[in-house]
Amino acid sequence: MYMYLPIALSSVNYLLIIGLGLAVGLLSGLFGVGGGFLMTPLLMMAGIPPTIAAATDANQIVAASASGTYAHWKLGNVDFKMGLFLLIGGFLGGAVGVQIIKILRASGGADFLIKMTYVVMLGVVGTFMFFESLHAMRKNKNSGTAKARSVAPAEKKKGFFAMLPLQTYFEKSGVTHSALVPLFLGTFVGILAAIMGVGGGFLMVPVMIYMLRMPMHVVVGTSLFQIMFTCVEVTFLQAYSNHTVDFLLALLLLIGSVFGAQIGTRLSKKLHGEQLKILLAIIVLAVTVKIVLELVMEPSMLLAVQGGH
Amino acid sequence: MLNKTMHETRTTLLLTGLALLSLFFSRPAQALTCRVSPDKVPIGLNYHGATLAVSGENKAGDDMIIRITNDKGEAHYKYIGKAGGLVWMKKGDVSFTNVPGVYLLFSSGDLEHLLGSEERQANQIGYDAMKEAAEMETGSPELQGASPRWKDEFIRFKEKQKLYAIHPGAVTRQHGRDSDTYQLEVAWPYQAGPGTYSVEAMAVRDGKVVEREQTRFTVQQAGVVKQLSGLAFNNASIYGIMAVLIAIFAGFAVGMIFRKGGGGAH
Repeated sequence: MYMYLPIALSSVNYLLIIGLGLAVGLLSGLFGVGGGFLMTPLLMMAGIPPTIAAATDANQIVAASASGTYAHWKLGNVDFKMGLFLLIGGFLGGAVGVQIIKILRASGGADFLIKMTYVVMLGVVGTFMFFESLHAMRKNKNSGTAKARSVAPAEKKKGFFAMLPLQTYFEKSGVTHSALVPLFLGTFVGILAAIMGVGGGFLMVPVMIYMLRMPMHVVVGTSLFQIMFTCVEVTFLQAYSNHTVDFLLALLLLIGSVFGAQIGTRLSKKLHGEQLKILLAIIVLAVTVKIVLELVMEPSMLLAVQGGH
Repeated sequence: MLNKTMHETRTTLLLTGLALLSLFFSRPAQALTCRVSPDKVPIGLNYHGATLAVSGENKAGDDMIIRITNDKGEAHYKYIGKAGGLVWMKKGDVSFTNVPGVYLLFSSGDLEHLLGSEERQANQIGYDAMKEAAEMETGSPELQGASPRWKDEFIRFKEKQKLYAIHPGAVTRQHGRDSDTYQLEVAWPYQAGPGTYSVEAMAVRDGKVVEREQTRFTVQQAGVVKQLSGLAFNNASIYGIMAVLIAIFAGFAVGMIFRKGGGGAH
């Protein structure tokens, strides 16, 4: 029942870890998020040191997102063109974000800023998605148009975006944007993701829905495609520079997560777009509440190992 | 005259012989011994700690204290405090020096009854003695002058990790005619990393440590655990590429299996 992890220097119940992978993989396939904002705290609760938990999580997200990307690609739900622009922006933003964190750490108080960024971003995104989805569900119910495979919000009020150069039609998503828009948004999410130390799926998904106005089901597949590449980069860098990737732990997690991602993908076909959004919003808000409670309540231990957030 | 000299020589030889005999018989009936089994603990794939058996002989009637520890060193942490009077955050660094990584203490009775405070201090037995020897270092002004509280916090932290513990009454003794034997079963925590650890047996009589004996055991990685650890630290780029490729392969493979299973059609 137990497996010793050579990098985490810890012994874990492997059924528990596979179960965690399955649960988070399911969310990944369902919502197009990597699940890092859930998995890392869960692994820490299982006794894994924070730095190892974060880096190894990126490794297992590679598997879960590869599995999810494949499933969504076969369903025709991946906009590779949009994903590529977002990816380039994400890499640029990630590099800028790492530099910002270096400056913040040198000046002190980085941990406080990271936590507050978490709370504000998760809180804003979660609240907005929750009320927007609720509103849309009521509207659909009232108008009797409940067959709500999520449809892109009408392309209106594009205003400033429409005036930008390099206007490109993204066939799979059925939207037209300047190529600069996904590049800029990818950079913005990349910066925040690097500061917060997460893949950024829970930020990228709302950006795609509300700012790029992509259909929900294309959003999930495209987000997974982008997350896969981001986490490949993070896994390699963490393994190479910090020796913090525990491959055995990642293996246990990915056994669960790749199956979870497949189940999640199939489940997502059975749920309406608004239902998916409101579920994700509830999870994001629950994580926000947990972080706020951790911030205001006295911890049981006043010492912590060095490293991690 | 000659007779007298011979008599004196005989007497001297006799006395020397008697003295040697008395020296031989005046040795303790049984010197303190200490054994640990196993003396090599392999960390394999299914490792979840180990059970160590510590045993030996001691002079009849003596109480026993067993201390399992490793070399003293430094321990570095972040301390958590309230920022802006509102939220709990990691605020700065704090280090403890002259502290062991592992400190497990077992005895045949209550430590306070077996040894007085000074004797415990002199023999580094118990948390109070350890705290006295430990030093706290921090650059944070708010921690200055509060070292007793933070040393307590350090011990609490180590206890939670199962690396520090005190178990009074855990050592059992069996009384023999001339000597006693003692036994101790130790649940060795998996949290203790690879290294060499010392097992020190101390015999206690009339409130004093009167005898001590020491042995060692090693904990080392073996098999797949050792190979993966070596690869991660010595060939980090290959390890990183392997981790990424296996994850991608596993992801796509499962994706294809599910699709073949018929679940993934449009």
